[in-house]
Amino acid sequence: MAILEFAGVTMSYGNRGGRVTALDEVSFAVAEGAFALLTGPSGAGKSTLLKLVLASERPDRGTIRVAGRDIHRLRKSSIPYLRRNVGAVFQDFKLLPDASPRENVALALQVLGIGPAEVEQRARKSLLEVELDPDTRRPARCLSGGEQQRVAIARALAGDPAILLADEPTGNLDPRLSREILELLQRVCARGTTVMIATHDPLVIDHVAASHRLELARGRLVADSDAVAVVAEPETSEPLLPLQPIAVGAVA
Amino acid sequence: MRQLYAMRYVTARGLRGMAQAPLVQLLAIATFAVCMLLLGTIMLVWSNARSIADHWGVDVPVTAYLAEGTSEAATADLAARLSELPQVEQVEIVTPAQAQARLVDGLGGDERLLEGIEAELLPTSLEIHVRGGDVALADTLASELRAEPDVEDVVAAGQWAARAQSLLETLRRIAIGAAALVGFACLTIVWSTIRLAVYARRAEIQILRLVGGTASFVHGPFVVEGLVQGTLGAAAAVTMLYFGFDAVRPLLTDAFALAFAAGGLRFLSPIECAALVGFGAALGVLGSRAAVARYVEG
Repeated sequence: MAILEFAGVTMSYGNRGGRVTALDEVSFAVAEGAFALLTGPSGAGKSTLLKLVLASERPDRGTIRVAGRDIHRLRKSSIPYLRRNVGAVFQDFKLLPDASPRENVALALQVLGIGPAEVEQRARKSLLEVELDPDTRRPARCLSGGEQQRVAIARALAGDPAILLADEPTGNLDPRLSREILELLQRVCARGTTVMIATHDPLVIDHVAASHRLELARGRLVADSDAVAVVAEPETSEPLLPLQPIAVGAVA
Repeated sequence: MRQLYAMRYVTARGLRGMAQAPLVQLLAIATFAVCMLLLGTIMLVWSNARSIADHWGVDVPVTAYLAEGTSEAATADLAARLSELPQVEQVEIVTPAQAQARLVDGLGGDERLLEGIEAELLPTSLEIHVRGGDVALADTLASELRAEPDVEDVVAAGQWAARAQSLLETLRRIAIGAAALVGFACLTIVWSTIRLAVYARRAEIQILRLVGGTASFVHGPFVVEGLVQGTLGAAAAVTMLYFGFDAVRPLLTDAFALAFAAGGLRFLSPIECAALVGFGAALGVLGSRAAVARYVEG
């Protein structure tokens, strides 16, 4: 079953003065429990794609489904509830610099409106899962890059999301720490969470055993290792994408 | 229960946010208090002007003093006849005893000033309220009353009452205008401080949105901040107004002894004070909501 589906998604930035197409007719499906790798050079549209999944941006055309729900038909007030089911990790960690790891993780639990005791217990559990000491009082800014990324992953996982998105998660880390973070993300996936990593880091691209690989170039999907799994639009029984690999020369 | 926990977080975060920038908060509350003090002063002036006008009988257009020896039956008959007139709204009989009691009250309760004056020396009178407080109707009625055999003298508030009412109306409009101006100033103060806070905590807002914080969860701490600023600012204004009023009251009472002899100066009632604080709190909430709405959306 597909947990994430894109069907004919086009997205552009700009105004009447000039528009830049960030994604062009992108269609794919990621199966539940997959470890998906979204690759492509800078400016290929990887981050835009992740923003669309988080409903931070709206597509010009096309449909995006998370666990079968068309997320861009959601009311604005429902978007926070979607985000609780889609954890996100970024290159710049996006942590509260003066807060401890536990406080950073607790923030994601406090928005759920759960009691302090449960917040404490779940925050500790999340930090232990990423192999961090839950009792450390050091503020996030005093942690190493790898530790900060672990805190970000713990925070993203604290609410037990169905999907974990990681946008260049190793971008600020040295090779050793990058490998540690990738191993951690693979363990998260093995536990049942669907993981999607957007990266242009050759270390990640070459060494990660991803179950699903997608490649973007100038906003178009140029390769999909799992294209047969693409779900058809309701109106047609034809697959939205041809079987992989998609010829790079087909890109406009 | 979830909402309770969320509310607890929002309140605690709002207060912690204030504690993170105490000087900014102090300045905001002080400026807010000065604005509210201006509004409170206008309210106080209007309230006292109205009270004095009431004591001086501005709201009683015609008073008919009856001749000595007029019987109670004749007094009641005249009052009944007047009540039936279409232009008359209400007629009140004021006996000599009631008149003396009012006089004592009007002189600040100091009975020594009336030593030797018996109640019987004061005439019975009829206080007649005409419909709509119409000055022309009051003058006509006064002329007709002078022709009555039991009536010795008639006093119509006439143009003086109209002028006093007009003055009160002007004061009321000034108070409303000032409330609007002060309201705008207060909104601007809260808006500016909350914008600063939003800017300082923009990373946190971004994270809250990322992890699924609802709009009220993200707005909440800032609204709490605005609420506290507004409430404390208005409460400080009421306190300053009270002590300021207490300090100037003896001076004003001496300077305008005649005017205040009828009523005396009074501070705002507890309900008026509460309304002023409530108004400040509402302005705080409105200002903070306006400040966060655009920044936090999206």
